[in-house]
Amino acid sequence: MKRFLETGNFAITEGAILAGCRFFSGYPITPATELAEAMSLRLPQEGGFYLQAEDECAAMHMCIGASLGGMKAMTATSGPGFILYADPYGWALGCETPVVVLNSGRVGPVSGITGAPGQGEFYLMRYPTQGGNFETICLAPNSAQECMAMTVEAFYLSERFRMPVTVLADQLITDGFEDISVPENDDEMKELGFRTYPRKVCQGPEFYPFTDDLDIPPVVLGHNTGALCSDWTPTLEGYDIEEVEAHHKHAYRLIYKVRNHRDLFNHHYEKKFMDDDPDLIVVSYGTPSRVVNTAVTKAREQGLKVGALRLINLWPFPDEHFSRATKYLSVELNWDGELVREVQRAVPDGSEVHFLGTCGDLPTVPDLIETFEKLLKNEPLSRKGWILEAW
Amino acid sequence: MEYRSSEIKSKYLRSRKIPSTACSGCGLGMNHKIVVQAIKELKLEVSDIVWGTSIGCAGRQTFATWKGDGFAGTHGRAYAIARGLRIALPPEKRIILTVGDGDAFGIGLTHLIHAARSNAEMTVIVNDNLGYQSTGGQFGWTTPQGSHTDSSPYGMFEHNLMSENMDVLEILKGAGATFLARHVAMDGAWAVETMKKAILNRGFSLVHMPYPCPTNFGSTELGSRNQVNIFRWFKEHAAPLGEEKENTFWACGIWHDVSNSRPEFHELVHETVEKIRRTGTL
Repeated sequence: MKRFLETGNFAITEGAILAGCRFFSGYPITPATELAEAMSLRLPQEGGFYLQAEDECAAMHMCIGASLGGMKAMTATSGPGFILYADPYGWALGCETPVVVLNSGRVGPVSGITGAPGQGEFYLMRYPTQGGNFETICLAPNSAQECMAMTVEAFYLSERFRMPVTVLADQLITDGFEDISVPENDDEMKELGFRTYPRKVCQGPEFYPFTDDLDIPPVVLGHNTGALCSDWTPTLEGYDIEEVEAHHKHAYRLIYKVRNHRDLFNHHYEKKFMDDDPDLIVVSYGTPSRVVNTAVTKAREQGLKVGALRLINLWPFPDEHFSRATKYLSVELNWDGELVREVQRAVPDGSEVHFLGTCGDLPTVPDLIETFEKLLKNEPLSRKGWILEAW
Repeated sequence: MEYRSSEIKSKYLRSRKIPSTACSGCGLGMNHKIVVQAIKELKLEVSDIVWGTSIGCAGRQTFATWKGDGFAGTHGRAYAIARGLRIALPPEKRIILTVGDGDAFGIGLTHLIHAARSNAEMTVIVNDNLGYQSTGGQFGWTTPQGSHTDSSPYGMFEHNLMSENMDVLEILKGAGATFLARHVAMDGAWAVETMKKAILNRGFSLVHMPYPCPTNFGSTELGSRNQVNIFRWFKEHAAPLGEEKENTFWACGIWHDVSNSRPEFHELVHETVEKIRRTGTL
């Protein structure tokens, strides 16, 4: 292993290269710019290609093009750029083109504050494009090292599911410097739990089988297989067709290839102090989860029966973690409450769901512990600076 | 040149998609045939070309007609997809894109300009039916001034990309395109010769090919769906470059040919990356 004191962006770059990524296209945007810079430095050293794009829409389309040409490709942005992916993301979902996307969240809406972390794209990760009739896969690491792991994992999943996979980080995770170990050989890759999957080529003539099967090689052009791919509803062979029945088959595949194989990635989560049926479960992902972990550890020292559930696999939403009727608290970097809505949907009757959000800043450990105490004593939450409704 | 449709059809096109579902009297098939005829005369094989298309009449009607590998991009983005593809494909594979005027000169113009800037090897055939016809007939960015369409009921009065000194081909020339031409659909063998040069350019080529749409444009602007009317009208308004008359919309011929004059995108990027990989520097 090589050890570095480096940023999450550095870790993602090394992870992508380990996963076989040899094409990156992006558009400068804080806080994902350093990733593009790192790619522009590292990819040519590995015989890979960095293309700066005229906008994010072109960036992801170029990745699609490279992927259609047989390369593993990646793009990265922040929220204001991610919305320009709506067009290519939908195309990649429909055409089942593997691409890895990194979104480093900052506080919004629109440009907001460039240098403050945010979690305003929880639902955007589920619905990155229009039209519905699809599932998405989103992984949310909370450290630089985990950024590397989840980037490698995203490439693995995108090949096996033949679809775009998003890694959702935030400004603190991608910009923050941390201790990073980069594996130098296959054994070290295995030691870190990294798995990879090679690019294969669909030989046709059935390019869009109507099944939920994994490991159908993606459409790759230039091998003279007669491969077809388009933005329209495909026939088995990839011809465009305007028939509802064909669309049913297409939609079935896009939804159920993911739903029916969640076991491939739903082990990505972290539980702390969850073995003794805690009276309060604190749910979070990304940066706030690190504050939550500290706060829950301290709360336990004070005798509060609190547990922490950190989601890494965000989408499809892992309902299985919410089977127990108890108190839940969702801690998020937004004031409108996003993750909390999904928690509220997933919990069984008899549960209580609460929300603690910050807007551009981070929750503090004392604030969290105070909140735990109040919730455990059934006291109303303090409403510092913001009126929190029924959450 | 000899037009033998059955031969080019059986060698290069898919029987499932030819004949297309285009409206009766549509000129798109003439443009399409000019491109495939040029390919045949260049003795290129199905495996030599990856064919891309776009949204709208031109994109939908030509998608999956090519017997080889093909894709249809989202609206206006085929040029960005093609640039990524250009890097990943071996240099000997050619990319041909048959797109529409709305796609290339409207929603996709930024990507088109950057494809020209990078001189990525691709031949873009812009099949111009004078507006957005698959959505019923709204004006586009090269629709002749004054035209009556569903979205210009009083006549199209804005400046557009064919107004004087604003021709889209001049814009693309400024952006670095290395081959640019314009032909109307009825230019036949002459257009085939131009198309061959466009395909042979190791760089970014674009051929702008206005063609008649009797169904929407013809009925709204010319007051009739009679196909002969719009074909005549097209011929009246087209002239060879340098022989333009007062009523000429389309000056046809090669506008700009500096083929093979500057490094092609794939070659430049691959050679540069290889040098960096070996020496660590440019």
